[in-house]
Amino acid sequence: MASRPVSFTRVAQPVRSLWHRFAYVALVFAAFGLMLLGKADVVIVERTRVAVTDAMVPILEVLSEPAGSMTRALDRVAELRDLQGEVERLKLENTQLRQWQHVATGLQAENQALKRLTHFVAPPTPRVISGRAISNAGGPFVRSILVNVGARQGARRGLAAVSGSGFVGVVVEVGDHHSRVLLMTDLNSQIPVTVQTTRDPGVLSGDNSNRPRLLFLPQNAHVSTGDPVVTSGEGGVLPAGLPVGVITAISDSGVHVKPIVDWERLEYVQFLDYRIEGASNSPVSEARQVTPAAPLKALPVQVVTPVISETSAEAAPVVGAEGSGSP
Amino acid sequence: MTPGFVHRLDGWARHMMPAVTTLILALLNVIPLGLPALSDVMPVITMMAVFYWSVYRPDLLPPVVVFMLGLAQDILVGNPTGLMALTLLAVHGVTVTQRPVFLGKPFFVAWLGFTVISAGGFALMWLLTCILATELLLTPAVIFQFLMTAASFPIGAWVFVRVHRYLVR
Repeated sequence: MASRPVSFTRVAQPVRSLWHRFAYVALVFAAFGLMLLGKADVVIVERTRVAVTDAMVPILEVLSEPAGSMTRALDRVAELRDLQGEVERLKLENTQLRQWQHVATGLQAENQALKRLTHFVAPPTPRVISGRAISNAGGPFVRSILVNVGARQGARRGLAAVSGSGFVGVVVEVGDHHSRVLLMTDLNSQIPVTVQTTRDPGVLSGDNSNRPRLLFLPQNAHVSTGDPVVTSGEGGVLPAGLPVGVITAISDSGVHVKPIVDWERLEYVQFLDYRIEGASNSPVSEARQVTPAAPLKALPVQVVTPVISETSAEAAPVVGAEGSGSP
Repeated sequence: MTPGFVHRLDGWARHMMPAVTTLILALLNVIPLGLPALSDVMPVITMMAVFYWSVYRPDLLPPVVVFMLGLAQDILVGNPTGLMALTLLAVHGVTVTQRPVFLGKPFFVAWLGFTVISAGGFALMWLLTCILATELLLTPAVIFQFLMTAASFPIGAWVFVRVHRYLVR
């Protein structure tokens, strides 16, 4: 009686270990296959990824909330520690900014007068979709973040993502409740940019470090450290003129740009929708029509339509201050 | 009938624990902490988990589960699909063949083993990333992440030992 299970095991053991080995090899090949399919942008892989991420978004949203408040608390402690120095710094900055404000109002008035003279047609007003970053930047192999707004809130692929201070990256994947933003520092990111002071065009190419390289500058380009870099809008995917960063190093290894964005405090992200492609007669009115139709109930998302002159008046002195110092 | 069923359910839940805790740790791995420089060199917790369970209870973390965990992490992080899945499978495969070396030995032997095997894992990930992007990835962050992963293995192991002792049994 007792010999039966023993003999069964004796027969089953090699079969089982063979099966295990086969399963292991099959899984390795499956992983390779998925990598190739993903590289070839096969729709089913893409859809599965989006569906799985959508399913995990609620968990990430809940988890990222206490982490966010912990970070804020730590920031608060650090702030309290050097309060005196901070006040001194802010006072100094305030006097400088007052001077800048004076310059900016003058320039704005001049700008408006010149625009009237030349019958300048203002670029379309962007629709802004704001969301919260619910994942970190991803580590050394990939640089991307998840944001808790998706197709339901009007996000779509190719939108420019900015944070309060500057350009962050491009929306590359959109699900119902999430979007993935490929950061400009990612290995696969190529952003057409312009050096603002010299108007030299180039491509900002990420290398997974925090200092992306500026490639394909013209032969006769005269860039220097401290020059601000903005998006050029070439190719029609991204809007022009979004502040990207500042040139920090020019060496044999290339021209390196320090992004304006504070990666460590990338909590909220805005998507700018200019509807450049497929725009009918008036892209502005079309965008305004879309705004109230978007469902806004579900998440803490704001759809705001700012006036472009305000945005540019805010942005101009900040960018200028980097390049030319105080007046 | 019912006690038997509950008992089976309990056993089943216990056997799921390695996979479930690893998935939770993978989720914790990607939440934004906002601490300077930490997100760049966040240790790869799933690699530690796969190593630990492959040494001490390989039956509870079979290759299929390793593969699924890797895929889940790929999708979460935004890696090319299959990158982490393949890496974790490789770590699992190598570790299982080297089990006798670690079993019943002092902890630092396992730590040393993990350092060597995870170095191989990171090299594989780096190589695959370079091939897929057709570009050479030259960032010191890869080495820092490997060092962080190897250095924080004792903390990970502390958690897995607790899970092993109290949840799996």
